Amino acid sequence: MLLGLTVALGCTAPAMAYDASGDRLFPATVLLPQVAPGDEFYVNAATLPQSGPAARQSNFTATYQKTITDNLGIEIEETWTAVGQSGAGTNYGWQNLDGELKYLALNNTDHEFLLALGLDRETGGTGATRVGAFGSGATTPRAYFAKGLGDLDIGYLRPLAVEGYGGMQFADAAPRPDQTQGGLVLEYSIPYLESKVHSFDLPDWLRNVTPITEFTFTTPAGRSYGEGATALFGPGVSYAGEGWELAVEALVPATRATGTGIGVTAQLHFALDFLFADSMLGKPLFSTR
Amino acid sequence: MRRRDVILAAGASALLPTSLPALADTTAGSVVGLVGGCTVTRGGSAVALKLGDPVAVSDAVDVPAGGKLKLRMSDGTILSLASGTHVTLATYQSDAAGHRQNVQLALGQGLLRAVVAPVEHPAMFEVSTAVGTAAVRSTDWFIEAKPGTAQVGVLSGSVELSSAATGRAVTIPARWGARVEAGRDPVEARVWAPQEFQAVISRTDVP
Repeated sequence: MLLGLTVALGCTAPAMAYDASGDRLFPATVLLPQVAPGDEFYVNAATLPQSGPAARQSNFTATYQKTITDNLGIEIEETWTAVGQSGAGTNYGWQNLDGELKYLALNNTDHEFLLALGLDRETGGTGATRVGAFGSGATTPRAYFAKGLGDLDIGYLRPLAVEGYGGMQFADAAPRPDQTQGGLVLEYSIPYLESKVHSFDLPDWLRNVTPITEFTFTTPAGRSYGEGATALFGPGVSYAGEGWELAVEALVPATRATGTGIGVTAQLHFALDFLFADSMLGKPLFSTR
Repeated sequence: MRRRDVILAAGASALLPTSLPALADTTAGSVVGLVGGCTVTRGGSAVALKLGDPVAVSDAVDVPAGGKLKLRMSDGTILSLASGTHVTLATYQSDAAGHRQNVQLALGQGLLRAVVAPVEHPAMFEVSTAVGTAAVRSTDWFIEAKPGTAQVGVLSGSVELSSAATGRAVTIPARWGARVEAGRDPVEARVWAPQEFQAVISRTDVP
């Protein structure tokens, strides 16, 4: 219950960025992990009212992603948490360090479809138990997909896209439960509408906006050790600049274990492969390009 | 090139004038690589090109199916034209020292690779198509024009691709590419796959 927000966000909170397939760009998601490896850095802040002795939890997350080859990348993520106590002070501390190895297995540009596989590893004992970090670690194999609908004959619905992932988190040791994880994203890209469907005379700022709604959940698998299922909706918008994106979403918990009121999250994302295209910061360590 | 194509190309070249009309002082570059029966149209006359031939401002250069052409321009820029390309050298201005001032190419169709020579002062290098214009400072890049669309891929440096219809532009850095379709904004730039670059490199590689 204490860490509903953290658990709902996959413990390491958001892992997001843009991905592309053909003429389709999938904007940086906020609640779900990104689909494909990339060269990027992003920071995220989220706050959500909680039930029980913890009145509010806020997370501040920084994530760095680096491509090793064109299709393989790693991610390192760290979250700092503040837990406001009812009638008491605030506990501060780090969550466990998290890393993920991710491989882009399929990129079908004609059908705007991506498929990737990931192996996430949370290092136990690197966080503070006073803010809910587990003493033991966990390993999570995941599968990711992203599909743009631009290849379908559906007129003004072609800017729609869906993304999602599913995974099974295996805890290193009790009393931490194993977990089933998953999530879905539905987005409508106005840049895609303007460049691929019909160019409306919209204000400049609106041409860079993508309305987006995310949903993520976790469910204990087997013995729960008191952990409940979490489910979180995140309706919001993403604004794309040149090499950066800013997204803001409401956080709407769907279970008491997730939270007890509406929260908010914001994320600033930098595409290092755009901003530092000619340096090692912006390209794979080993590439044929 | 198939043997029949070779014969047709040779036959077509044989029908063309063998010498170019005299050039005013508008020489923009010269032919340094050639495959197939490439031609230049100058003053209404189409002439078969050969190694060492000059090209000039206002020349329209055609590369036939199966052909390729490489030009070294007066400022040191290298242009490589793929099979089926038609491009007009609308403007090619350099100063007395050979430093580029203003370059405008009109790409009617086909694929062009430009390894643009660096300059120390502000200078324009633009390639326009029916649907958009790409502008660069110093870079190695590709532009391909097809009916209703144009796409740009950048190997080094950066290119700004703008829509002729909406005026909106995207910046394309190294290893990235973007497309613009008729009447619309440019598509958001993205990282190009190595296979995409290899495809345009092989089509413009002149031995």
